[in-house]
Amino acid sequence: MIELALLITGAIVIVSSRTITALSAYVVLAAAVSALIAPSASASWMTLALFLLATAIKVVLVPAGIVLFMRANPAAGDLRPSLVLPLRLLLVVGFAILAYSAGHFPTLVAIRFGGVAGFVLLCGVGMLIVHRNLISHMIGLLTLGVAISLAGAIFAPELPESFELGATFDALVATFIGLALVRSIVAHNPLLDVESLRSLRG
Amino acid sequence: MNAWVIVAPLVAATVAIGFRGFAARRVVRIGLAAFAALMPITIAGKVDGLSLVFVVLVSTLGLFATIFSAGTFSADWGTDEVVWSRKHVYFILLSAFWSAMLLVVLADNFATLWLGISATTLATAFLVAFSGEPAALEAAWKYLVLCSAGIAFALLGIVMLAHVSMAAGLDPAHALSWAAIAAHAPAAPPLARLATALMLIGFATKAGLAPMHVWLPDAHSKAPAPISALLSGVLVSCALYAIMRTLQVGAVLGSAPLLQSLLLWLGALSTIVAGTLMLTQTNLKRLLAYSTVEHAGIVALALGFGGPLGLFAALFHVVAHGFAKSAAFFAAGMVQREHGTTELGELRALWAAGPSGRLLLGALTALAGMPPFGIFVGELLLVLAGIAAHAWIPLALGLLGIVLAFAALARSAIEIEAGRPKSTNAGRRMSRLGITATALALSGALLFGIVPWTTLGTTLAAAASAIGGNR
Repeated sequence: MIELALLITGAIVIVSSRTITALSAYVVLAAAVSALIAPSASASWMTLALFLLATAIKVVLVPAGIVLFMRANPAAGDLRPSLVLPLRLLLVVGFAILAYSAGHFPTLVAIRFGGVAGFVLLCGVGMLIVHRNLISHMIGLLTLGVAISLAGAIFAPELPESFELGATFDALVATFIGLALVRSIVAHNPLLDVESLRSLRG
Repeated sequence: MNAWVIVAPLVAATVAIGFRGFAARRVVRIGLAAFAALMPITIAGKVDGLSLVFVVLVSTLGLFATIFSAGTFSADWGTDEVVWSRKHVYFILLSAFWSAMLLVVLADNFATLWLGISATTLATAFLVAFSGEPAALEAAWKYLVLCSAGIAFALLGIVMLAHVSMAAGLDPAHALSWAAIAAHAPAAPPLARLATALMLIGFATKAGLAPMHVWLPDAHSKAPAPISALLSGVLVSCALYAIMRTLQVGAVLGSAPLLQSLLLWLGALSTIVAGTLMLTQTNLKRLLAYSTVEHAGIVALALGFGGPLGLFAALFHVVAHGFAKSAAFFAAGMVQREHGTTELGELRALWAAGPSGRLLLGALTALAGMPPFGIFVGELLLVLAGIAAHAWIPLALGLLGIVLAFAALARSAIEIEAGRPKSTNAGRRMSRLGITATALALSGALLFGIVPWTTLGTTLAAAASAIGGNR
């Protein structure tokens, strides 16, 4: 069931053309992964505190920052996809097939959720490529962070908080710096279109 | 003690803010930075040779960048060219960058190393965008997105490495320590190859190796000159250090042949791509940035050739390039300040214009690989390592890239140093501190070419042995 939820939300992140829809899907995705990797009640208070902090940052703080920015800059609401909807759907199907195949490699076949983590990872990378709005890059990086949290829980269940913290730090850095930069960029590029960031070439 | 060494630059910059008066604050800032740069003496013998070489590189060039910044930007800020309140932010970010790089090279496991690499992004993205110009913001955005994605893949590889280590019986606390992995020599499952390959690709993105290099020329050319010097001379070296550590565990996990093949082709591609694009550049700082891609490619090639000679060549080249590239960016910063431009078509007769032009010529000569500078020795060692490894095609491609880069640097140096003055002098002379920092960095590049091999050889061979150079 949770695998299906991860697949659907991962697909919505990349297929959606509205920022709020993609962001909502990311929040559900991040919350589902957090639920999946949550430490048991017998874990140390330190582990629990770190987990709660990381979850609060990824599921509440970072999306809230993006929503506040969108309210101030309505142009951020459109993800400005480079590919039409049928092509985006085709891409998601391609990612699903690729992740399913990778999950059945002899190396990874014994690892549960390996294919799902691969799919979420590909959705994060796809988000960086498919949409032209700068906010889509941030959602893509956040999705990559969720994929790594999931991979951490799958591959190193003895060290979940280490990788959860690492992925959260990356997400926090990307969002914090990203929003600060976007605030400056919007003065020169009100549409936040990545096409306008191509003056440095060659 | 390592923690104090790491936070010392940040503490020094914070303390300096408390001093009143422009001259007093400048003296205190440089004095405390020198103290922070000397702190690593306290850990000599407690870290391995490889870490020690990089700690010295980071600390020395961090100090030079602080001296240069105190001598140039502080003066400009005094004339209201930059908002006064941002001066402190600049020095805090510069020292945070320095501290983050120390964290990378003093880490004893991949989790801490990754955290350090990630922390450098936090400090430097703002520094790249410091001028606030649209082009600088564009460069910072590309840097943030591409490097964050790259290091995310490195983290994924580290996650898999932890799985491999723990499956081999290492306890979770030491699962990512390279010393522990080397000591236990776990069996080499196929997942180890995937893990180390992902780590290499991720760190190669931060090192600016082609085809993941696209962010580097933009970020390194749009940052303020001392930051460009640290980005090109030290941060790229830190990413190469992470690759060396990956190679160290790869040798134990049986993935060294795969990693070395990847490095050979990434290195050859980087030198060719950078050498070709250097011929088309019209801006001095962008030319220097592409030269960084070329030199990162040379180091990758040397690591790919492997063996004691290849690893020694890689280390030698990293250090020699760090000093030469820092000198070149410092000099470019002085030229920009004095002439108001870094466009190659606008710069002429720099040799006659003052010390900045002469220092720039020295730095360009060093980067082109001319004797007696250290880069010449590094490239000579690369050729010998390539011959020893019988890797003829990557060696030939690498040499072609080196020749193209030489042609680009030689042509630009002749154009801007000779002829009649063309640019309008911006009327601002370089401070003595700026000239001192540039001359010191250039001296370092020269020192590596003329110091007796017996002295340097022992230190660097010991460092190379840490990554398997004794095999």
